[in-house]
Amino acid sequence: MSYGEKHIGETLLKVDNITLAFGGVKALSDISFEIRKHEILAIIGPNGAGKTSMLNVINGFYHPQQGRIEFRGVERRAMRPHLAARQGIARTFQNVALFKGMSTLDNIMTGRTLKMKSNIFQQAIYWGANQREEIAHREVVEKIIDFLEIEAIRKTPVGRLPYGLQKRVELARALAMEPDLLLLDEPMAGMNVEEKEDMCRFVLDVNDEFGTTIALIEHDMGVVMDISDRVVVLDYGRKLADGTPAVVRANQDVIDAYLGVSH
Amino acid sequence: MNPTTLRFGIWMLATPLLIATIGLGFQGLAAVNSAMFFTWGYFVEVLIAGLLQGVLYSLVALGFVLIFKASGVFNFAQGSMVLFAALTLVGFIEMGLHWTLAFVVTAGVMVLLAMVIEKVVLRPLVNQPHIILFMATIGIFYFLDGFGQTLWGSDVKLLDIGIPKDPRFILEGIFEGGILVNSFDLVAALVGAALVAVLALFFQYTRVGRALRAVADDHQAALSVGIPLKTIWVIVWSVAGIVALVAGIMWGSKAGVQFSLALIAFKALPVLILGGFTSIPGAIVGGLIIGAGEQVAEVFVGPLVGGAIQDWFAYMLALVFLLFRPQGLFGERIIERI
Repeated sequence: MSYGEKHIGETLLKVDNITLAFGGVKALSDISFEIRKHEILAIIGPNGAGKTSMLNVINGFYHPQQGRIEFRGVERRAMRPHLAARQGIARTFQNVALFKGMSTLDNIMTGRTLKMKSNIFQQAIYWGANQREEIAHREVVEKIIDFLEIEAIRKTPVGRLPYGLQKRVELARALAMEPDLLLLDEPMAGMNVEEKEDMCRFVLDVNDEFGTTIALIEHDMGVVMDISDRVVVLDYGRKLADGTPAVVRANQDVIDAYLGVSH
Repeated sequence: MNPTTLRFGIWMLATPLLIATIGLGFQGLAAVNSAMFFTWGYFVEVLIAGLLQGVLYSLVALGFVLIFKASGVFNFAQGSMVLFAALTLVGFIEMGLHWTLAFVVTAGVMVLLAMVIEKVVLRPLVNQPHIILFMATIGIFYFLDGFGQTLWGSDVKLLDIGIPKDPRFILEGIFEGGILVNSFDLVAALVGAALVAVLALFFQYTRVGRALRAVADDHQAALSVGIPLKTIWVIVWSVAGIVALVAGIMWGSKAGVQFSLALIAFKALPVLILGGFTSIPGAIVGGLIIGAGEQVAEVFVGPLVGGAIQDWFAYMLALVFLLFRPQGLFGERIIERI
């Protein structure tokens, strides 16, 4: 582990003039920004600013009417979520989306789906190639479980876990995909101070140890200013500002958007 | 010990006691009412016949559970899939194929059918409320029903793939005269048990099985970890189709391949309500209870009330379950109204 100066590399993902509308409502208009390799990018903005819509566009749940998205220098065509996953984009959801009936371990194992190769016939037989593969992937998953300190709840059905831990399991499942780009939708929402601190530590460690690029949506300004390298501010579907936390904090438009402005 | 194992253990002990109590009750009734005939040997014989019949109900119910688990949709067309599979199989056998070969070809046809259903029905309706999908399966029911009979004719057909049908006596040492068991029912039970064991293991221990459960829980999350919904749906409907084929063979050999096969699906409904819509073991236990229950009720209680209990007993039992335990014995959550 190296806590040195970190090297933010070239552009990993570039969104260019994205416009997304639902009927007459423009959720995003003309948004452009980049996510660079190895950085932590925070997307902030008041409620309804279009932050989650932006993440949904990036991982293919929504299809923008206009604009281009480049991932690793290649322009993407109509994207589907499972194709985004295949290209190395993982995400978590604002309202935890876990497989509630399954154990923590099984939930995280689903993150390995794309890494597994045995076909359905081998799986039907189970023994042989399929079993070897399960064991190999189980090892990776156990490492992630250790990393996120959730050893004790391995076999617990996630539906029974407290909210904070569910969020952590969701992060674990995303990490199991060994993504290049990790999208976190309000990873700390509804957490107490301690849980927030833990989550911050995990986000920083993931970024540092695995070199994963992270784009996150967060409302807690303290957290945003502490952990992010760059901040993009959205308001009513438009981009207000883009820059280091210090620059964004000083931006008059941003201050107006958050505090209101007298007319 | 975890609660599931414990509960299982308790039921394993309680069930024989419960059955013995029911037997004792009948014995008492028979002593005071001359319309009723009771011996322990006869009781066990009826019970076994009922259980074996129940396995056949379970086979049909299993097809429902598979699709309900993976998509939350009650597949109204499961019964017509049974009929369609059986008709196709008989059709190929009549064309001169050996039944094993015909089985493989028909399984292929069911996979093809699954692909078509995914493409034509499920994909355009993605993200629609469950009720819409349910209505669509009613459409599939009528389509398959007509299509199968258009292709293969609407005559009642015999299906004989060489399963022995001779009755045999077992346990002659314990009960006077032994107990009469139909060897066909025995074979059917074995096939059903094997199928269930394979499916249960497949669901629990493989990647595809895990993916199926994942899709059942949360579509969006499943997509985000890279599980392709379409592939999963094709797999589920294919497996349900092949289960329908096995059920079709068993029911077809027993009662002939005819339109009424599509209606046995309605017998699977009370089985599902008893066992829970989402549970494979539930489908089995539910089938056994319904099968044994209606058989025993018909034979022993029937004479007291004028008979014909068999036709409504299952639904009556389901109604009681809906009142007191709507999620079924093994179900995870409250059943959606359909």
